[in-house]
Amino acid sequence: MVFDEVFDVIVIGGGHAGCEAASAAARLGANTALVTINLDLIGQMSCNPAIGGIGKGHLVREIDALGGIMGRVIDRTGIQFRLLNRSRGPAVRAPRAQADRALYRIEMRRTLEATPNLSLRQGVVTNLVIEKKRAIGIELQDARRIGAKSTVIATGTFLNGRIHTGRQTYQGGRAGEPASIEFADALKRMGFNVGRLKTGTPPRLDGRTVDWDSFERQPPDERPTPFSFSTEAINQEQLDCFIGFTNESVHEAIRKNLHESPLYSGQITSIGPRYCPSIEDKVVKFPDKTRHQLFIEPEGYGTNEVYLNGFSTSLPAQLQQQLVSLMPGFEEAQIIRPGYAIEYDFVDPKQLTPFLETAAVKGLFLAGQINGTTGYEEAACQGLIAGINAGLNSLGRDFFRLDRREAYIGVLIDDLITNGVDEPYRMFTSRSECRLALRHDNADQRLEPYGRDLGLVGEGEWERFNQRRNRLAQLRDVLKQTKLRRGEERHRDLCRLIGQDLGDSLTLAQLALRPGISLDHVMELLPSSVRAGTAVKDFETVLADNLYAGYLETQTATTRRLHQHDTLRIPSGFAFDLVGSLSHEIVERLQRARPENFGQARRIPGMTPAALSNLLFHLKARQTHPATA
Amino acid sequence: MIAQTDTIVAVSTPPGRSGIGVIRLSGPGSLSILRQLVASDSFDPQPNLLTLRTLIDPVTSERLDQALVCYFKAPHSFTGEDVVELHCHGSPILLRAIVDAALRLDARMADPGEFSLRAVANGRLNLTEAEAIRDLIDAHTDAALRQATRQMKGEISDRLQPVKDQLLQIIVRLESSLEFVEDDLPNVVHDNVFASLTSLQSDLEKLAKTFSRGKLLRDGIRVTLIGRPNVGKSSVFNRLLGRGRAIVTDIPGTTRDTISESIGLDGVPLVLTDTAGLRTAGDQIESIGVDRTKREAADSDLLIVVIDGSEPLSDEDHSVLSEVAGRRHIIAVNKRDLPTFSETRIDHDSLSFQNFDSVVSISAVTEAGLQDLRSAILKPFMNRNGAAEGLLITNARHYDLLRRTIDAIISSADLLKTRASEELILVGLHDALRYLGEITGETTSDEILGRIFSTFCIGK
Repeated sequence: MVFDEVFDVIVIGGGHAGCEAASAAARLGANTALVTINLDLIGQMSCNPAIGGIGKGHLVREIDALGGIMGRVIDRTGIQFRLLNRSRGPAVRAPRAQADRALYRIEMRRTLEATPNLSLRQGVVTNLVIEKKRAIGIELQDARRIGAKSTVIATGTFLNGRIHTGRQTYQGGRAGEPASIEFADALKRMGFNVGRLKTGTPPRLDGRTVDWDSFERQPPDERPTPFSFSTEAINQEQLDCFIGFTNESVHEAIRKNLHESPLYSGQITSIGPRYCPSIEDKVVKFPDKTRHQLFIEPEGYGTNEVYLNGFSTSLPAQLQQQLVSLMPGFEEAQIIRPGYAIEYDFVDPKQLTPFLETAAVKGLFLAGQINGTTGYEEAACQGLIAGINAGLNSLGRDFFRLDRREAYIGVLIDDLITNGVDEPYRMFTSRSECRLALRHDNADQRLEPYGRDLGLVGEGEWERFNQRRNRLAQLRDVLKQTKLRRGEERHRDLCRLIGQDLGDSLTLAQLALRPGISLDHVMELLPSSVRAGTAVKDFETVLADNLYAGYLETQTATTRRLHQHDTLRIPSGFAFDLVGSLSHEIVERLQRARPENFGQARRIPGMTPAALSNLLFHLKARQTHPATA
Repeated sequence: MIAQTDTIVAVSTPPGRSGIGVIRLSGPGSLSILRQLVASDSFDPQPNLLTLRTLIDPVTSERLDQALVCYFKAPHSFTGEDVVELHCHGSPILLRAIVDAALRLDARMADPGEFSLRAVANGRLNLTEAEAIRDLIDAHTDAALRQATRQMKGEISDRLQPVKDQLLQIIVRLESSLEFVEDDLPNVVHDNVFASLTSLQSDLEKLAKTFSRGKLLRDGIRVTLIGRPNVGKSSVFNRLLGRGRAIVTDIPGTTRDTISESIGLDGVPLVLTDTAGLRTAGDQIESIGVDRTKREAADSDLLIVVIDGSEPLSDEDHSVLSEVAGRRHIIAVNKRDLPTFSETRIDHDSLSFQNFDSVVSISAVTEAGLQDLRSAILKPFMNRNGAAEGLLITNARHYDLLRRTIDAIISSADLLKTRASEELILVGLHDALRYLGEITGETTSDEILGRIFSTFCIGK
């Protein structure tokens, strides 16, 4: 096979997964090409112009700690930053930001163009070249051929994409962009198990036609919390968002016109995300709710376009316009771009290894929506892992993976490859068994050393990381050693404040755990030499460690028994049918899921305690006495 | 090698009465639990040697038993972990009490085959041995499985499902308030959550309380016939058995040794024991029999004191009656067929201090009153409403899990009171769900999310 160009790594797709993948592979030292249908739309946010949120914000912080780029790009282009769940504990707080959609795109392209070893190529990929079960390159629509040792596919919703508005339906990967049809067929021909999912997006309005006074103002945080550990401060101007509500007349009109909705006419059969329902779904499934909340979000500094978050719909465009006009404040509002639903192909992620490489074709990696996920952050973190491993593969180095217990990224990939998906997969903190340990503010402490080992964390960042690590260690010591004693004025004040006796003497670490004691109370008790040099951010991290330490210990003890065998490996090709007394159904489930270790087997839906203990016994016996097993 | 494990406990001798019963503990806490059981922090037994010690209930400080205790230091033990063996007297009730004490000291009831599993895991058993034991475990699991399915199909899932649903509802409430902070959800009212937790706790407590009775039903109620010689104990025994198992003569003191037989009474398993008559012994053999009678009586769940209703009460009758005072017993006034029979031989007033459950007149010859006797035997073990048994927890592992569920819920309720943040309150609730899940099957995080999305309208 003759190639026009040869790289170490090819990344197909320039969305959030593709950008991280290409950036990571190139910075590992692999000569990388990013191939996309339209170079002007690199880093495009197809749906809402926002990054982060509970669970998702955690992912972005982890991406950043590993040396990914999403956090830095949003920090430079965010127009409204908010830290969510401020009133809750630190483990469930997470940053969120509205983005300037256009600036984000431009900044992402600039970042990629500034990356050594990375080349951008525009083109429509039509086929993969496979030789001896190994991906060796791609073919483009214009007959070019590009070769590479590793290929990452990150095609988002473009595979066999079909857009619906009302009864109108047409092929497309995103509004106004062509779908990838030939490539979808090529993947099917290769024998991959392919399914279909659906997602949707709301209409965008002309901001000049909105009566802003009719809506509740949602201001940004006074002090924005950045996503990247390397961002010192967010300096760009911050904008307001607005909150509004639908009303019964809108609901009534939707009910009357349900037959026009492809979701209810039978035109769309694939499954969409339950946590991102269309307005049609909301009205039908929750008939008792008299209003549904909407967020009216500006799309950027230099545009009048606003995003009507919460009003995702695939009703006909004219009807969308009528529905919007039924709401006070939107009487005169004009829709610039109608909302739509899109169906697309995804590849069953159970066919992947924890490195996001396909089990069937070596050197082929899949990342993002093609694996059945939804969300920019979910896509980006897979792109990062796939890009890292594609790079490592081309350079002949050992693969990289994250465990469920150390990162949400580990949870996401393990969930995907173990259970597959039956609806678009989104991250939630409750998906993790170790929520209290996986905080957004300690992502650097958990993951940055990995990023450094891989070569993705530069000298400057590593220096910053080490300084912070030292500061945290020092603060931890001070908290344990500084005591508040009876007789001191602050002791008396604090007892009075919380209405409880604090005892004769307690350390600041103990004091911080008392209900009613805030960060400020503890901080002012620090020795003045320490207090002067202490950033609130560092102090928050240390207090959070302190708050959860006891719980994590007990939780570990509780789950230890259940999870103690989780890392026990199941050899590939393990004959589950030879484990006595497993039912046919259980054997089938195991064979389908191909668990790599006991933990994955344990999480397969439908496994019974009896079956698991049998399997465990067999594995243990085999492990202890491999010769006779 | 399993890095870290908890400490498990189980009776390792076969169920039922025997001369000696061995309780085994395995895990890092074994020695510390032993020290607490012998009430001596400094007790430092030499490994592999038996020592005679008194076992004390660590909570009540009550003396439990005199036992030979032995400590096997890791890795030189059957499981490869620290192991403690307690060689106790073989009464099932006594063994039960000692295991309960160990459970309170934070041991956990061993799963079927768990000692062997640990032995394999730590390389103490080779594969051939392991396979042999696995067969045993399979047999064990089959039995457990049969029981489990029965319980799953019937009452235990019926009863636990609403409890689990209620727990899930609270979890869904708190989880969604955390995960979907930007959505338009109803506020979580802490007082309501607290009330739900309290009602959940009391439901579970009710269930857990049935454990001792439930266990009785599984192992069989031990019923012992006692009385002075020649009142017809063996005749009553044979009648209840439905066949002539015991030798019956007119000669007082015919029964020299205790005889036990298992029977089913209305489907309830019963271990019925006939004993030698209690009196100042005439010869040495009879004296041994009398000792055994006393020991048997001490182990019983229910005593039937048999009295000859055709004669006035003798001193020996009175001494038997006073010996059983304070123990659960019923009185069978026998020989109703004889003309001199009088039901009033038992003077209710003079016996009012006695804590007997009922008095029944019977005739072992004509079988008159026998049905009444059967009902009287079961009555103390039936539910108050007298209907068929409600759900009883018969499995020590289930009981252990219920207790852990309750403790986890209590810890969450305590946190709720201090206004702790939801993610902390949820730790205990998820633990509770996991424990219940070990009985009814695991609830995945996907199922929880599914419930959230069907309960609340979520999403932008």
